[in-house]
Amino acid sequence: MRILLDKFSKSFGSTRIIEDMDLEVGSGEMLALLGPSGCGKSTTLFAVCGIHRPTSGRILFGDRDVTHLPSQERNVGVVFQSYALYPHMTVEENIGFPLMVKRVAAADIKKQVADIAALVHIGDLLGRRPAQLSGGQQQRVALARALIRRPDVLLLDEPLANLDAKLRLDMRSEIRRLQKETGITAILVTHDQVEAMSMCDRIAIMKSGEIVQIATPSDMYKDPRTSFVASFLGNPPISFLKGRAQQGAFVLGENGLRLPLAALSGIADGTALSLGVRPEHFGTAGGVPVEGRVVFAETQGRENLYDVVLPDGSVLRSIQPVRDDVKPGDSVRWNLDSASTFVFAADGQRL
Amino acid sequence: MIAPAAIMIFLFFLMPVVLTAIFAMTNMSTATGISGGAWQVTQGAINRLKADMPDLAGGIAEPRFVIDEEGLAALEALKIKAGFSIELRTSHMGEVFPSRREAERMIKALKDRPSTREVKQISDLFNRSVLNTRFENRDGLMASLNKLGFTLTPAEQETVAAATYTGWVWTTENFKIIGNSPDMAQIFLNTAFYVSVTLLLFNVSYALFLAITTHYMPASTASIFRAIWLLPRITPVVIYVLMWKWLTWDSGFISMFMGQFGYPVKNYLLDSAYNAWFFVILINGFIGASMGMLVFSSAIKAIPQTQFHASEVDGASRWQQVRHVILPQLRWPILFVTCYQTLSLLASFNEILLSTRGGPGRATEVWSLAAYHTALNNYTGNLEYGLGAAMALVLVVVGIVLSLIYLRIFRYDTLISKPLIED
Ligand SMILES: Nc1ncnc2c1ncn2[C@@H]1O[C@H](COP(=O)(O)OP(=O)(O)O)[C@@H](O)[C@H]1O
Ligand SMILES: [Mg+2]
Repeated sequence: MRILLDKFSKSFGSTRIIEDMDLEVGSGEMLALLGPSGCGKSTTLFAVCGIHRPTSGRILFGDRDVTHLPSQERNVGVVFQSYALYPHMTVEENIGFPLMVKRVAAADIKKQVADIAALVHIGDLLGRRPAQLSGGQQQRVALARALIRRPDVLLLDEPLANLDAKLRLDMRSEIRRLQKETGITAILVTHDQVEAMSMCDRIAIMKSGEIVQIATPSDMYKDPRTSFVASFLGNPPISFLKGRAQQGAFVLGENGLRLPLAALSGIADGTALSLGVRPEHFGTAGGVPVEGRVVFAETQGRENLYDVVLPDGSVLRSIQPVRDDVKPGDSVRWNLDSASTFVFAADGQRL
Repeated sequence: MIAPAAIMIFLFFLMPVVLTAIFAMTNMSTATGISGGAWQVTQGAINRLKADMPDLAGGIAEPRFVIDEEGLAALEALKIKAGFSIELRTSHMGEVFPSRREAERMIKALKDRPSTREVKQISDLFNRSVLNTRFENRDGLMASLNKLGFTLTPAEQETVAAATYTGWVWTTENFKIIGNSPDMAQIFLNTAFYVSVTLLLFNVSYALFLAITTHYMPASTASIFRAIWLLPRITPVVIYVLMWKWLTWDSGFISMFMGQFGYPVKNYLLDSAYNAWFFVILINGFIGASMGMLVFSSAIKAIPQTQFHASEVDGASRWQQVRHVILPQLRWPILFVTCYQTLSLLASFNEILLSTRGGPGRATEVWSLAAYHTALNNYTGNLEYGLGAAMALVLVVVGIVLSLIYLRIFRYDTLISKPLIED
């Protein structure tokens, strides 16, 4: 079922958290709300499930306006960051709770709980209490409880934040599998770009209560609209060089690096610019040689990561296949793929 | 490090119970005193003896006259006719007369013919009655009785000693009295009624109601409500009860209000047992509810907010939220409040003492108040410490037994079960 936020705003008292947000999540789509902590992701999610009432604007599920419906009537499943399991109930009672309050017959509940528990692989834990489960198991219980009523919408608030790295990897594919199997419309709230990129059909990236850009993960990576988006996606992150426009080229410092760029035609000379260079676009391939000194080197197994200081003091990051001939302190002359760089104006907008 | 704590526990927690138990096994009262006593043939002692030894009881109740050296010496000191003492010594030494009449007949018959006044004077000197004489030890009493011609077997001596002893003795009589007296049974029922109704209606149910309703209110409104409900608890009890009296007595608010509708003026607090209970339970309930409210409120606050959010999106109504999320997690606080309030309702009687004094009649007399009246304050003035202590001891035992039952009912063991985590 499609979810539509129409000029949604939310304030707590006089503090405005979200203003005039428009967002559409297609039916059966999984969308990531990605942004730094405190940007209003949870607030948005809580408005969708009805825990918070919007200050203004509308929320639609399909064509139904649910803005003023209490959460009980919205048929949403929510996985909370802390899981919010009921500590006094067994796993079975926790998962069956949404059916129990609907007064479904006990035998029916038992059967449906068994089915959904099998789907999330916790069939053998039904008699336990949450305190007797590990984080990953609690996570699955929360997921099962969110899914058991066959909700129209599944909302996940940082569902993996409390898991260790290995488990996070497993659950990432697990949640995506369940979402695809059930065909449910889902919103995933996260501050982890890897999670957003690997699990979701599209990403809405948020900053201070505003959606900066919505796109598929690969589009957003290849074509960030602002320097904020560019810096948020990618690991290791993008590096920026501060420079000026000069006759259609990006110039770094006095007599420094000079990169002619198509995007800069028509830009007045002297305009302050910021050039984003992803680590994979500086190193072996590319046509512009750049000189500098290696100050940091780190191997990540398959690849090596280097920080290179340019003569003007700015730093470029480089990721390359493993090699042993470069050590910190060495002077290098590596190529930069200028066609893959992004230029941003001083306000962060892409040019 | 542990020694000071142990001493404090012993002095202030164990000692009172131990002392109560010790007192409970005695018949101490104002009459016996709490130190040792003496042996004295009082009218009461004679009454006690009548059942087992009617002859002796009749005998020692009467005066006895014995012609002995002590009396003769006193007679000589009087310096009346020397012939009296000489004749008494030679022909009557050691004679015992069971009554004054017989003794005086013998004295009248003396050769020197004493005047009527002298007969009286002389007979008084030989009066050896034990009635109302205090003996500081048991042997003194026995020796006197022996001298009077009562020869007693050791078993009989034992009975006489027990009946005439004025100090306290060890006894289990108190518990028999408690077990058999219909008054005690009535007081027991009063107590059970008072404790269970106040506890269920106010200390738990009403407190839960307040805690839950304030939980769903905006924070500022909730704190105003809680503050109002704390007032009875923080008002000094004398003033608090006084306000209830203003409300209920003859010239009080209720009387005046009902007077508007033509009802006669009356004391609504004490006019019937029904009314007295009604107000006693309200007075105590309003005080008791505030504690439960605080305990339950903070326990509800301790439930993570996301559980309420989760249950809302899971489709639970307010009532279902209360029933399935809040109440099950209040099991331990409810147990605590129930236990604590049962004990405090059982033990405290100040509000009742200050309001109805157990009246009208003894309609609102509860166990602890009865113990207080028995041991420390009553109209007859004979304070029965022993019986009062026995009543207090019963209260302690009832309290312990009830606590154990509560722990079972609330399945304390499951509250403290260990987690079992594996990855
Ligand atoms: N109930 C609330 N009352 C007041 N401020 C809130 C409330 N909930 C969230 N906020 C504020 O709103 C902002 C966004 O919060 P949130 O949506 O939780 O961020 P996140 O993106 O980390 O999930 C934060 O600055 C937070 O302090
Ligand atoms: Mg959040």
